[in-house]
Amino acid sequence: MLLRESGAMEGRVFDPRAVTDASVASGVPFGEELVAFASASVTGSEAELAQHREALEAAMGVEAMVDAAGVAANFERMVRIADATGIPLDKPVAVFTVGLRQELGIDAFGAARNTPKVGALLAALGRLGQPLARRLMAHYAGRS
Amino acid sequence: MVFSYSDSVYPIRADFGEAHRAYWHELARPGCWWNGAERVAIAAAVRSARDCGLCAERKQALSPNAVQGEHAHAGVLPTVAVEAVHRITSDPSRLSKAWVDGLAKQGLSDAAYVETVGIVVAVVSIDSFHRNLGLPLEPLPKPEGGEPSGYRPPSAEPGEAWVPWIRPEKASGSETDLYFGMARVPHVGMAMSLVPDAVRSMGRLSEAQYIAPAIVAMPGRNQPGRALERAQIELVAGRVSALNECFY
Repeated sequence: MLLRESGAMEGRVFDPRAVTDASVASGVPFGEELVAFASASVTGSEAELAQHREALEAAMGVEAMVDAAGVAANFERMVRIADATGIPLDKPVAVFTVGLRQELGIDAFGAARNTPKVGALLAALGRLGQPLARRLMAHYAGRS
Repeated sequence: MVFSYSDSVYPIRADFGEAHRAYWHELARPGCWWNGAERVAIAAAVRSARDCGLCAERKQALSPNAVQGEHAHAGVLPTVAVEAVHRITSDPSRLSKAWVDGLAKQGLSDAAYVETVGIVVAVVSIDSFHRNLGLPLEPLPKPEGGEPSGYRPPSAEPGEAWVPWIRPEKASGSETDLYFGMARVPHVGMAMSLVPDAVRSMGRLSEAQYIAPAIVAMPGRNQPGRALERAQIELVAGRVSALNECFY
């Protein structure tokens, strides 16, 4: 959601399916190299990680590669916080991301069981109200 | 000096080193429910879990409960805590409320569990940063003496998570600073608030490794000093989360 909305804020369209399917072009500058590095960070051998580290550095520069290493490391943490405490999706997010979650196939993840199903009416409203997502996020940031 | 990234082959931003050093210092001190030696032992167990045969066998099984056994450990921690550390480290997507409740029945209180989670996730993350850059892991700190405080925030209450938490409107007194003044906090920000210092650590590490908590919910907002644009950051975050089957 943050990827899609970051694009919308800049008047660009990014394809969020790239996070679950590495063969999909995200539209994000240097997205291919970033996805390959992130993938190697989670599932790759040390040799594969080194290969994609070098490729990312060659494409974007060493500072960007180091930043990407930090972001990837950070989300190894966030997933474990969520999974170890059983938190559900925040209710408004659950409603507004029904379509996105179906598109990405993440409702099949085991931890989805921690979030109550969104009813059909709310799901339909959520799809219609997706343009409100940015306002919703600002609301969550306490800026509304 | 620990985390002396100035010796690295890569130009690593100073705030990475500052955040990691601060966490290592905190790790060595007594917490709310574990003393310094136990906290460092939790960190050591995180590293052991990477090469744990029992964890590998369970990960391959249809259900982790199908494979019985005990993880090797040095005896500093109770067995139930070692089990918690290994499972959170190596197979987080299959944790359940029943499993957490089972830990409690074996003597691991909800608050001690949350402190354990906080240590595991910080060490996993810092070690992952090193691995991502091909750097050797930082040696664990020498534990400091002293006893855990036993502090349980009076405003913690049951919510939608498996463990009690502090809602933003209840964050007062010692916890006034907890949510950076945000009026609304996503669940992941509240998840470890039964141990407030775990939330504070999360914020400091996130600010260095990701972006400042206060701008997380502002899509498109860039963090000054970063070489990646916000969309590039979110793409990496999303890919790592998806491969870890993170629903949240």
